[in-house]
This record gives sequence, C-alpha cells and structure tokens, in this order.
Amino acid sequence: MQNSIMRRREDARMNCNKNVLRIVAGTAKRFHWLAAGVLLAVVGSVVTTLIPPLVLGTVVDQLTAGAAIPVSLVVLYFALIALSGVLESSRESLLIVFGQKITHALRSKLSEKLTRLSADSLNQQEPGSVVARFVGDVNTVETLFTSGIISMFADACKIVSILIIVWTKTTGLAVLLLLLLPFIFLFTRSVQKKTLTAQLANRAAVSRATNHVPESLRCIRTIHTLGKEQYMEKRYDDYIGQSYQAIEKTNFYDSIYSPVILILNAIIVASVMLLSASGNPNILTFFGMSVGTSVTIINYITQIFAPLESLGMEIQTIQSAVAGARRIDGFLAQPERCAAESVPTETPDSPCVELRNVTFGYDENTVLHNVSFCVNSGEQVTITGRTGAGKSTMFKLLLGLYQPQSGEVLINGMSASAIADSAKRRIFGYVDQSFHMVPGTIKDQITLFDQSITDEMVQSAARLTGLHETICNLEHGYETECAPALLSQGQWQLLSIARAVAAQPQILLLDEITANLDVETERAVLKALRNVSADRTVVSISHRIYECEGGRMISI
Amino acid sequence: MSRECCKTDRIASYFRAEWGVLLAVTISGLVYNFGLLAGPWFEGKLAGCLVDILSGRSSFQAMLQLVFWYVTIIAVVQGMRYVKRFYVRRFSNNVNRRMKKVLYHNLLKKSRAELEQEGIGNVITKAISDVDDCAEGMRKFTTEVFDTGVALICYCGMLLYYDWRLTLLSLLFPPISYILAEKMKRLVQRTGAEYKKQAGKLSADTLDRVSNAITYRTFGCEAQRNETYEHQLSAYERSAVEANIWIAALPPLYHVICMVSVLFILWFGARNVLGQGWSSWDIAAFTTFLSCYTKLSVKSSKAAKLFNSVHKAQVSWKRVKPFMAQTEDSEAVPTAAADTLTVSNLSFSYPSAAPIVQDLSFTAAPGQIIGITGPVACGKSTLGKTFLCEYPYSGSIKFGDRELSDLPDPVRNSIVGYLGHDAELLNESIKNNILMGDPKDAAPYLRAVCLEQEVLRMSNGSDTIVGNGGVKLSGGQAKRLALARTICHQKPILILDDPFSALDRGTEEAVFANLKELAKDSIVLLISHRLYLFPQLEQVIWMEQGKPIVVGTHETLMKEVSEYAELYNAQEGGRPDEL
Repeated sequence: MQNSIMRRREDARMNCNKNVLRIVAGTAKRFHWLAAGVLLAVVGSVVTTLIPPLVLGTVVDQLTAGAAIPVSLVVLYFALIALSGVLESSRESLLIVFGQKITHALRSKLSEKLTRLSADSLNQQEPGSVVARFVGDVNTVETLFTSGIISMFADACKIVSILIIVWTKTTGLAVLLLLLLPFIFLFTRSVQKKTLTAQLANRAAVSRATNHVPESLRCIRTIHTLGKEQYMEKRYDDYIGQSYQAIEKTNFYDSIYSPVILILNAIIVASVMLLSASGNPNILTFFGMSVGTSVTIINYITQIFAPLESLGMEIQTIQSAVAGARRIDGFLAQPERCAAESVPTETPDSPCVELRNVTFGYDENTVLHNVSFCVNSGEQVTITGRTGAGKSTMFKLLLGLYQPQSGEVLINGMSASAIADSAKRRIFGYVDQSFHMVPGTIKDQITLFDQSITDEMVQSAARLTGLHETICNLEHGYETECAPALLSQGQWQLLSIARAVAAQPQILLLDEITANLDVETERAVLKALRNVSADRTVVSISHRIYECEGGRMISI
Repeated sequence: MSRECCKTDRIASYFRAEWGVLLAVTISGLVYNFGLLAGPWFEGKLAGCLVDILSGRSSFQAMLQLVFWYVTIIAVVQGMRYVKRFYVRRFSNNVNRRMKKVLYHNLLKKSRAELEQEGIGNVITKAISDVDDCAEGMRKFTTEVFDTGVALICYCGMLLYYDWRLTLLSLLFPPISYILAEKMKRLVQRTGAEYKKQAGKLSADTLDRVSNAITYRTFGCEAQRNETYEHQLSAYERSAVEANIWIAALPPLYHVICMVSVLFILWFGARNVLGQGWSSWDIAAFTTFLSCYTKLSVKSSKAAKLFNSVHKAQVSWKRVKPFMAQTEDSEAVPTAAADTLTVSNLSFSYPSAAPIVQDLSFTAAPGQIIGITGPVACGKSTLGKTFLCEYPYSGSIKFGDRELSDLPDPVRNSIVGYLGHDAELLNESIKNNILMGDPKDAAPYLRAVCLEQEVLRMSNGSDTIVGNGGVKLSGGQAKRLALARTICHQKPILILDDPFSALDRGTEEAVFANLKELAKDSIVLLISHRLYLFPQLEQVIWMEQGKPIVVGTHETLMKEVSEYAELYNAQEGGRPDEL
C-alpha cells in the first residue's frame, strides 16, 4: 500500500507541467475533425485575405493601359473578399467550439482530481483559490490556445506571406520592411508592457475603490455612530483618484501607439513612392514597379502592421496565461489518496469497530500512540482523553480519511481506508460540532444530493430528530432554500444528525456535537440522539452525552 | 461644486460640467475625422502621380512635394487623434468620479435598516458598478459621435463628390447589414444572458464542490457530486458556444454584405476611368474611391456600436438615477455632554416578529457600568441595538430630558457609541482604524486595550494594514482594536456588546480597569456572557427568553435569580471557558 502511494506521488511529480498540454492534446485528438477544421480555416483565411490586393493590382494595371476589365476579374475580387469573410467567420466559430471543448475537458479533469486528492491536501485547499483555478485559470488556458497560440500562428503566417508577396513584387521594399519590422515590433512590445504595468496599477486601485463600498456597508454602524461619513467619503475619493491617475497613464500609451504606427506607415508608403519615382535605373531595379503594383503594395503595407500589433498582444496573452496553466498543473500534481473499492459486510465474529496498535500523526507530531480498542455491534461508547489527545483524529481514521502510520483500523474486520466511497454512508453517520451547510433546500441538506435517499427516508430522519414539524411549518417545507437565518443553531445541529442517520448507517460517530450549544438546546439534541442511537453502534466524543446512560468509557 | 452640476440626477449636468474638456474633444474630433479623408485621397494622388511620372508627364519634384504633404498631413491628423482620445477619456473619468462620489455620499446617508433589510445597500453597490457602464457609455457615445458619425458623413461626402450615382448604388448594401445585425441582436442578447447565468451557476457549483469537499467525502457523495458537476459543465459549454459564436461569427459576414458594392465600384469605376461612365475619373480617383468605400464599410459596422453604447448607458443610468439626488451635508454635531439615562417600560421587537425586550426600566448616572447578561439568544444583543434606534421601540429611552428616538441621527450619534459583535474594521492601518481621520495619537488607546506591545511587534507597528475585515489580526486583537476605536470616539452612552469575548481573564480584567478609568464620564452598558467582572458593576440586567427582565445589583441577582447564580458559580468554579 505504502509503495503504491509512493509510486503515485512519483508519477504526479513526473506529470508536472505536462498535464495541461496533455489534456489539450487529448481534446484535439478526441475531436480531431474539429481540430483539422480550425487549422484549415486559419490557413484559408490568411491566404484569402492576401489575394484581393493582387487582383486589384491587375485591375489598376489594365486600366492604366487603357483596357477594359473583364467581368470575371470583378467577380473574382468580390468572391475572394466573400470567401475570406466566410473563412474568418468559420475560423472564429470553430475556435470557440474548440476552446470550450478544452475548458470542459480541463474542468472535468480538475473535478476528478478533487475526488482523488488526499484528505490532507483537501484540507489545505483554500476554497477561493481553488475556484479561481477552476474558473479563472481554465479560462486563461483557453485564451492561451485560442487567442494566444493559434492566433499567433495565423498572424505569423500573415506577416510571412505579405513579406513573400512584397519580395516578388519589389525586392527592395521587402528588405526595407525586414529591416524595419524588428524595430517596430520592439516598439510595440515596449508600449504594450508599459500599458500592462499601468493597467495592473489601475486594477489594484480599482479593486481598492470597489472594495471600499461593501466594506462601508459592513461597517455602516460604526461609520454612523462615530459620524465618520466625511472621512469615509474622502477615503473613497482618494481611491478613485488613484485609479484615475493609473488610467491616465494607460490612456497615454493607448493614445500614442496607433498614431505612431500610422505615421510610420505613411512614411514607408511615401518612401516607396519616392524611390519608384526617382527615375534612377539602379534604384528602379530594386524599387521599380507599375502603378498597379504600387496600389497593391500600399494595401499590403497597411495590412502588415495589424498582425504585428496582434503578435505583441498574443505574446502578452501567452505570458499571463502560462502562469494560469502552471497553477493548474500545480493543482493536478498534488498527492492523491488510494482508490478504495471494497464494500464490507457485517461479519458476526469480528467487532464492529476495532483499532489495533494504531499510531498516527500529522507530519512529525505523533498524535495517537499505539491505541487499541474494540467496540461491539450495538454498543454505545464514549471516548475520553485530554484536549489534543487525538480523539477527533481517531474519527478521521475511522472514516478512512487518513491511514494509520502503523497498526490497523478495522470496520467490521476490514481496513477502514479500503471502504469504497459509495458504501460509506450505509456504514457511518458522522456529526461534528457545527453544521456544514451545502447550497440547496432542507431536503438537500439531509440527502447531500444523494439520489438513493428517498423522500420517506428524509422524513423519517427528520422525525427521529424531532425536526419534522419545524420543517413542515416552513414556507416550502422540505423544499425551502436554506440560509443561515432559517433555523436556530440547535436546529441546524439537529439537521446534521438527520443528515447522518438518513441512510440508516450502522455506526454513528459523534464529535463534541453539543459543544457550541447552550444547555436548553443541548437537551433537545440529546433527546434526538437517544432516538437515533437505538439499535446502532455509537462512538462519541463528549463528556456530557452518555455518561449518565451507563455506556462504556474508553480512554485514549 | 459649481452651480451647473448641482442637479446631479440630470445626465446633461455632467456634460455641462465638462464643457472645457468636451470642447477640446470636439475640435480635435472634427479635425481628425475630416483629416481621415487625407489618407485615401493622397494614396490615390500618389498612384496618379506615379502614372504621370512613368509616362513622362510629371517630374520627381512633384512626387517629392506630394509625399511631403502626405506625411505632414497624416502626422497632424494622427496628432489630433491623440488629443481627442486623451480628452474623451478624461471626460469619462471625470464623470465617473463625480457620479460615484454622489452615490457613495447617498449610500452613507441611508440607515442600516434601509441598507440591510430592504437590500438598498446591494442596490446601491450595483448602482456604483453601473456608473462604470454609464460613464463608459458616455465615453463611447462621445467617441463614436465623431469617429463614426462625423467620419461617415465625411466619407459619404467624398464619395458623392467623385460620383454621386455610383455612391448611391454602393450605399444600398451597408443598411442591409445593419438591419440583419439588428435582427440578430435579440438572439445575441438572449444567448448572452443565458451564458452569464450559466457562468454564475458554474462558479457557485464549483465553490460548493470545493468548500464542502470534506463533507461530501465523509458521506461518500463525491462521485455523485462530480456527475452533477459534469452536467453543469456540459450546460455551460453549450451556452458559452451559443453566446459567443454569434458575437464572433457574424461581424465578418456583415462585412461581406457591405462589400457587395465593390462589384459595382470596380465595374462602373473602370468605365469611369475609361471615359465611358457617369463621371470622368483618373486612376487616382479610382483607387481613392475604392479605398474610401472600404474604410466606410469598416466604420459603418461600428455604427451599431454607437447605438448599443447609448442604449447601454441609458439602461444603467436608469438604475443609477434614483440614488443620484443631491442630498444636504449634515452639520457635524459635537459629542454631547454627560447626562443621566432613564429607560422606562422599554419594549422592542423587530417589525412583525415576537417581542424580544419587554418592559425594561432602569436609570443610570454618568460613570456607571451596567452589565447585561442572560443565556444564549436571550436578546441581550438586541437590547443593545435598541439604543441605536434602527427600528422603533415602545416605551421610553431618555438621555437627560431628550427622547432618543425623537433626535435626528447626527445628534443621537453624538450621544450613543456602539461596539457590536462584529468589530467592523476597515482594511486600513491599525492607527487609522482607531483614529478614523482624527488628528490624535493612537498610542494611549492601544495601551488602554492592552494591544500596544503586540502592535509594536508587528512589522509596520501601528501602520500595519489589518486586512479585509481585520483578517490579519486574531479575533481578540480585532475586538480590542475596535474597543480602542470606541474609546477614542467616546460618547456619553457606550454600548459594548461582548467586547472581551476572545480575551483571557487577566487581560480582560486589565482592559476593564482601563475602560472604567477612561469612561468615567460615560454610562457603559456592558453586554457579556462572562460574569466574573459583574460584582464590580453598579447594576446588572438579567434577561431570559419568555421571562420578565430582572434589574438589580450582582448581590440581589445572586439571591433572587437562580439561573444567574448558577451561571456565575459555574464560571467562578473554574469550569473550562466556554470558548
């Protein structure tokens, strides 16, 4: 067992940084027709956008020569424009479909991973940041492929093709462009980088200003009673002012870039014209061209800047998205638990719950030292021990969330961690100090969305805990949507007992279930408990519950 | 604020207030958009000039001149573009800032009951985010008026000048594409709304799956949850594709429809050049006309944007407007002088709910500390909040001879200070949380709540930022910081709801001693479930659900109320702390 965990961890480490790529590649393979379609549309739309200027050049040349142009040429020109429009449209559509396939696959993998995570790693997750992995980071990975890599490929194709065409028309200009492009690109990147910095500053300032409003709402009593309205208004204005300054900077870069590029564009066109008009035969071998060609060339020069600018943006997209991909890889590389498949049956000769020389600890701190005890079927026992003696930890071992470092934890004679998830609810009902609400109705709280728990089972669980009447008096009965103010703390605790017994488990594990309740509510909970613990094996951590009932005490 | 912008609920007032900026936008916008014609015109001229040079009818000099003007004009036009963009954005920033200021001001004016129970707080928070849309819409409107409106007019004018018949023929097609776009809009909006809904649901489901993972695992429900999640993913995928495909796939097709006109332009334009058409053209005119039309068709696809942005701004403005009325600034009221507190026959219940406080009477003089206690959920916190007059009470609470509920909010706030369960800390420095802008020294207050040493050990001392809601502090630290803030802004009546809840007994006693000293001119109502300080208090109020409220000294309560005695003895008897 230990070995297999080690191997799994090793595998996980090996997979690091490749997981996301593998998932994307897998998606492309699974939907290979779609992927081929994307590729075809990308290349097709590049080619078709580049041909119309050539046709136009021919038209102009014919006109210059004083010849009429054939209808076929006119139709060809429009047909090419139409075709490129259609191809562009299908490229965009296919990219969206493909991108969504990728996000779906990534999220499926992430949620599968969540199920396989070890309890330890699961506990360390910060829900907000995991949601950010699932939602935000997955979306960035999608952009990484669609707006990043694929568009980059398209833009690079476009630039190269334009250069090739220009080369065939006038070599000199192609050389000129080749020399200029790197500088233009560097300029583009530097503007984009500065814009990004300013945008980040702006985003920080905006989020401060945005947070100020809910914060004021949260603290409204203090603001009112202290009469600090003006102070808060000034703070708010300061925050908005900060974001304003950051925006001003973004605006500057934003407004300066295209004018510079367009002026440059004009200068290049101007120099091409000057050179072809120079009349010098040496220059003309490199720059000479017909009028039609000059029209074509002007067209292409205008077209070459757009992909250059996009290229810069794509680099930026990829840079920021790679971080997201890395975070997802990090999530997928976390240690996993062992798969548990067995379904234990009640065996008359082995005790219901048994610990044999169990030692367990988190990291280096050993919490349980060589603990052994047995609980027989139908017995009700209380575990005692000082705070930090590992009583709750022992429950986690019983539930199979953790594995002992040495010794054995047996449920009906079978290792606790080997029990399949699907069998758990029929064996254990677990209640701890507070109720863990899931989003949904009262019924959902009891079933935890488990479809095998029927309405009858739900109601009988609620009756056992004495909640049935309370629930029926709610506006929508069992279908009432839950919110913290719906029930009192004690009632929520009763509901968590109902949740625990809904699937009629064999064993009840109770962890300090009345710790947060006052005496009055505690009485109600204990009464409910007496109802539900009949004919069940009960293991409880609490000094108050069973001591008067004469149950056995086990000290650890 | 100047006179013009006093009517903050009129959108025109914002345009008026920014007239200087808008003037700059108008001039640069007109120049820029008119100047846009220079591009195609010069490009045509350049080609024409090249024809002339190649056929020997013109000289290199002519080209040089042309090229010089071309570059110069383009530079000027682009310069104007810069000016225009810069000022348009400044305009929207200013509007944004001014609107948010008004909204926020009005938000703070609302009572807590209005904000929380009636949900106005959330509505205004949404309105504040609507301001972004609104200002953005105003920016787009201003931009597009020039970049689309003026530009389209200029392009049309130029086309008409070259050949009005061909122009009219060509202009048949762009409207077709608008009409189609307009027809598709409803579909786009519907699928977009559905997508937004699915995206929200996906986030909620993900949060549920992650934050309740341990619960699901304990009950072995993870596989079933994954299945449900997978269904949600499919629904999300479908709606995302449906919503985005229309947005991305249609514009290129609209463009194709606009470009049908090139069939006519090429055909009839060629006839014009050859001298067989409606007008007499040279090559320059031909290329200018074609490139002008291409630019027009690109621009005209943005015309829809103009209307969309106006529409969007209108919708968001409608939501913002109700909260935009200018409200008067209330005068700051200096803290009231000490006086006696007389509570007689006080009863309180939340609107349409069972009474929580019933028939309470007591009096208190400055310097007295009165304990309020009882079992969990007996209503002691509610009693504390009653003094804030967030909801009407029956009976009477008099400070001196003034009835609290009759006083205007600012006056009442100059009398009653309150520290609730929630420390209500701002995400600012420790110092700012105590002083809240007052020009004082925070150190004495930190000392009073025994927090000074701990703060000194923090990396930035009292300039340490406490994090959102005080997350960077421990529960006890947050509570004490809030207490320091309350003491710093001392009022004649101080209501402290469980201020010592997370403190150990020694600290609690030290803080209590300091409090007694600092608040010796105030009446303190101390709500607590820990009773070992109660023998030091002047009066104790015992509350228990369904039973009459008992007011007395610690000694009388020990004798008369067995539950009180039981609770006190249990805590004194060294029972482990409830926390």
